[in-house]
Amino acid sequence: MVTFELKRDRVLLRWGDRKYEWIIEPRYWRNPALGVIFMLILPLFFYNRPSILTMITTANLLAAVVIPLSLQMIGTGRVNFGPQLYLGIGGYTSALLNLHLGCNPLVTLLANILVCGSIALLLSPITWIARGLYFSLITLILPLAFLDLTYIYGDLFRGEVGLVGMSALINLGKVKLNYLAYFYLSLFLMLLYMLVADKIVRSRFGVSMAAINEDEDVAQMMGVNVNRYKVFNYVFPSILIGIVGWFIVHTFRTFAGVTYLPLEFMIKILIIVLVGGRAFIYSVVPGAYFVAILEEILRGFGPIHYVLFPVALIVAIVVLPSGEGLFGLYHRRHHRDYFPKFRVRRE
Amino acid sequence: MLEIKDVSKYFGGLAAVDHVSFSVNQGEIVGLIGPNGAGKTTLLNLICGIYKPDTGRVIFEGEDITARPPNKVCRAGISRTYQIPRPFEAMTALGGVTVGVINGKRRPNMTLSDAALEASYYLEFVGLFSKRDTLASDLNLYELRMLELARALATTPRFLLLDESMAGLNPAEASRALDMVWSAQEQFGITILWIEHVMKIITQAAQRIVVLDYGQKIAEGEPTAIMNDQRVIEAYLGGKHARH
Repeated sequence: MVTFELKRDRVLLRWGDRKYEWIIEPRYWRNPALGVIFMLILPLFFYNRPSILTMITTANLLAAVVIPLSLQMIGTGRVNFGPQLYLGIGGYTSALLNLHLGCNPLVTLLANILVCGSIALLLSPITWIARGLYFSLITLILPLAFLDLTYIYGDLFRGEVGLVGMSALINLGKVKLNYLAYFYLSLFLMLLYMLVADKIVRSRFGVSMAAINEDEDVAQMMGVNVNRYKVFNYVFPSILIGIVGWFIVHTFRTFAGVTYLPLEFMIKILIIVLVGGRAFIYSVVPGAYFVAILEEILRGFGPIHYVLFPVALIVAIVVLPSGEGLFGLYHRRHHRDYFPKFRVRRE
Repeated sequence: MLEIKDVSKYFGGLAAVDHVSFSVNQGEIVGLIGPNGAGKTTLLNLICGIYKPDTGRVIFEGEDITARPPNKVCRAGISRTYQIPRPFEAMTALGGVTVGVINGKRRPNMTLSDAALEASYYLEFVGLFSKRDTLASDLNLYELRMLELARALATTPRFLLLDESMAGLNPAEASRALDMVWSAQEQFGITILWIEHVMKIITQAAQRIVVLDYGQKIAEGEPTAIMNDQRVIEAYLGGKHARH
């Protein structure tokens, strides 16, 4: 029996002996609502500029990779240097099924979830056996090993060229309209991830995750089933990242491991985390937009942009509030909020 | 309530705990003392599941909890504090205690707000309610010790392991902390095994004291008897000095 109860600032849901709550007080959702409205209006100004639309779509997708990564880093208490492994697995699963077996995007999505989930579950014991730098090194190697596989089995994965011609998720007949639709779809995906991550972090589960990030031995001594949490927090974000791969396959209709699996892509992701700041899931959006816009601007400088990009980012990291990043400039810090510290090396 | 039966733990060739046996009855405060390196904290880690004993068993309320993982030991009703406080630094005092409330036992019908409310009760109990929104990294040593106690109590234990809770406190703070432990025992009905170096405090607090030296139990008894025990004096001061 499910019952709802309306309180002054929250809605309570009771189901059997379980109780859930949603905060509905306006001061908690006013600013996020304004942000969402701004992002909904933003692409309308760039309707005739497909390059800008592609750029902000890419920013949304980068954010959609980093949000689950942040969740994973908190819940496992470890810094994953290779989340793009699941982007690759998800992308190739969807692309190969679509190209060779003619599966539609819905089927490839389900297969994607299954494959990414299974592989992540198989690999999840590394969150038990490896800590700190060792975990980071293992996760760093995995996507690079997968990249090598795409070259070794070039007949299947098509190596550097990648797979092309997958069926589109949506086709509105006009190219410009398609660009707009892809932006809104990517925005929806990113916001959905943010909502899910926000709900998790602000729940009982999220508080225990924070405890694991702080000190997993103490958390375990306080009754937290650390191993179960770590498996969930490795597998679930991996599936979410895999879905981004599926999205790329069915919107850009091309997928090459060489774009997403190398270290350069990971550096971009880590920079988003750094520039975005410690406010993790919310800071990811300004961080991703910052990186995507900066990359686009510096591309105009020619080949030298490979050097300018990291330099500009180092400057941003030094100049921005320490640990708080871009989000820290805006956010008035409340101690009630949990601002995690991500540390590769732990005592 | 708690029975330690012939428990040993070896690190390489070193016997950190060597065939130790004793028991703690319900409602007691039992002191565990010994010189540095005697194996007190190792024994505590064996009880709460951090280490697996090489020999022997740990029985709690008739149940064998030997080598159970720490989270299951906690759910069974045993909680602990640490010699060097290990707070969740980036979390507020309230947040840290809430973790204990949520996970100490199965509470499916408790929302995060309910848990925070209950956590604030434990914070008020140890006198930290006014610091509930302060980050743990900003608390002083006495407050950290009290936060550890609140965190341990929040898991609703029936048995509490205190690991040198008075270390680093000045006499006034130590006296306040002792009062706090007594009132916790009275209010929550918990049994305590207390490792302590401050003799004045442990002789005052404990009904019984167990003494370890080089991993072995060398004495057990009432505080006054233990303080006059020749083996204990030798262990603490060395044989030569003990004779004078």
